[in-house]
Amino acid sequence: MKSSLTIHKVIVGLLVIYLLIPLVGTFLFSIAGKWDHTILPESYTMKWYIELFQDERFYDAFQRTLFLIVMTVGLSVVIMIPTIFIITVYFSKWEGLLQAAAMLPYGIPPIVGAVGLIKIYSDGPIQIAGTPWILIGAYFITILPFMYQGIRNSLRTVNAVQLVNAAELLGATKFQAFRTVVFPNITSGILVSTLLSVALLFSEFAFANLLVGGRFETLQIYLADKLNSSGHLTSAIVITYYSVILLLTGAVLKLTFRNEKKPVVSNKKRILSFHKNTTLEGEK
Amino acid sequence: MSYVTIDQVTKGYENQVVLNDISIKLKKGEFATLLGQSGCGKSTLLRSIAGLEDVDLGRILIDGKDITNLSPRQREVGMVFQSYALFPNMSVFDNIAYGLKMKKVKDIKSRVKKMIDMVDLIGKEESYPHQLSGGQQQRVALARALVMEPKVLLLDEPLSALDAKIRKSLQKELKRIQKELDITTIFVTHDQEEAMTMSDRIFVMNKGQVVQSGSPSEIYTSPVNTFVAKFIGNYNVCDLEVFRKLVRSTEIKGNEVAIRPEVLQLVSVGQDSLDLQENWVIKGVIKDVSMIGNVLRYEVETEESAFLVDYLHHRGNMFEQGERVHILVPKKECIIL
Repeated sequence: MKSSLTIHKVIVGLLVIYLLIPLVGTFLFSIAGKWDHTILPESYTMKWYIELFQDERFYDAFQRTLFLIVMTVGLSVVIMIPTIFIITVYFSKWEGLLQAAAMLPYGIPPIVGAVGLIKIYSDGPIQIAGTPWILIGAYFITILPFMYQGIRNSLRTVNAVQLVNAAELLGATKFQAFRTVVFPNITSGILVSTLLSVALLFSEFAFANLLVGGRFETLQIYLADKLNSSGHLTSAIVITYYSVILLLTGAVLKLTFRNEKKPVVSNKKRILSFHKNTTLEGEK
Repeated sequence: MSYVTIDQVTKGYENQVVLNDISIKLKKGEFATLLGQSGCGKSTLLRSIAGLEDVDLGRILIDGKDITNLSPRQREVGMVFQSYALFPNMSVFDNIAYGLKMKKVKDIKSRVKKMIDMVDLIGKEESYPHQLSGGQQQRVALARALVMEPKVLLLDEPLSALDAKIRKSLQKELKRIQKELDITTIFVTHDQEEAMTMSDRIFVMNKGQVVQSGSPSEIYTSPVNTFVAKFIGNYNVCDLEVFRKLVRSTEIKGNEVAIRPEVLQLVSVGQDSLDLQENWVIKGVIKDVSMIGNVLRYEVETEESAFLVDYLHHRGNMFEQGERVHILVPKKECIIL
């Protein structure tokens, strides 16, 4: 029993090392001065970070990437949640179609997709080729599988159909049912899909490079550009945006975790406000 | 006049008929049970009454009002689901108050309190569904439906996920609350024992049709066909040809004979005080004895078929396995189908 536990620990340990080595290596390289014939760097320096943080282009690229991500993920959340909800609850026979559509991005390599998109959107009624808007469209499709799976699974887990049935029988309209009993129960699922999408888009290069390239320099394009000048600097970029993602994920997870851990307190507040409302209504 | 009228309701999916020309009339305050195996259409009928399923033909009326085409929220029916469908993000109090809040009623707090009291959940107001046991969740679901004072309460196998003991006590409590509020209730179950204990009237369903309706004792003592006989009790159903051979008589006519296991009597071979005026006698051998709680069930093998004979278990085993016996079959208890 004890020995098998040790084996498990060893396996997990090896896996962690395997996963962390590239990251640790990148980090060390980003703070290394001279490092050519030793296992660890011979000297350490912060100059790559200083150089990076003094570069206006880095901030601009970071901002553009953030803009793209917020727009894309926001759009996806706003459009996909109602769509998937309506399809699963009211038109379940079309679910297969939606699923197939959501899986399409896996089947089309970015290069093929990009060429097609440029062709379609360089003339005609919607001329957005070369602008960030085409990138947002392409990213929307890229994260579709994650958003679809995440939202659909959350809906299934909470048995959304039955919750809506129950709410409707209690006098709620379809919209009220969605807002009060479905949405609050799928937020954590949506959050996970959203985080996954954010992380994915942060490191997206193919579409960005092919669709807009230097005209709208995203973080990855900036990174690719710097790759030619200094490996140390690119390591610093990677570590920086990894840290940002890590912070973001940590913050979001902590927020949800706290909400789930203290339902009694939030519940108390809700009941209090609820009682207040009812007494006010009664007084009117 | 009847309070709930289901008038020739028919429904099908693709080319399969789920509800076939069902007509049911219920009086106000009646506790009716739709009883049948899974897939017989009982849940679909219940969901049609709730408005969660459309019907193809026929009408549904409650209190004289045609509700066939109304949305669920306009029907004034309450429903308890098999899996409770409590709102996981709300406390017990908020779950029960939900419907009243939607309706913008004024005295929400006192009405919810009263309900919580009625279903015996005092002290659990602030708990969340996942912190409650199955039985408690069931009570919340019931309270949530009842607080709306619905005209009809629909219960979709509400007790089938609970263990036997809690189930028994909730059956009693459900019945008490139903009587106390005098609320017309339609209960769906596949458990004939549950149907017997709780109902004023039972509708036995099979393949989308109501095959028999009546009080529990009517259904139990005079099943109209083999299906009901086999489903309702552990009736011995025997082909009449075979039965005639066994009892050496030609005076009975029909297709099959159904006999309840508890009306049969066993007599050891050798005892000669057999009442041949009132009974048929069949020779047999005890093949198996099983104990079902307070009932001893003997499986008696005869020349042609096996019979089940039930005895109340008060004196231990009266007959041993392999013992040769006579089965006394009271003539007037034989139901010809």
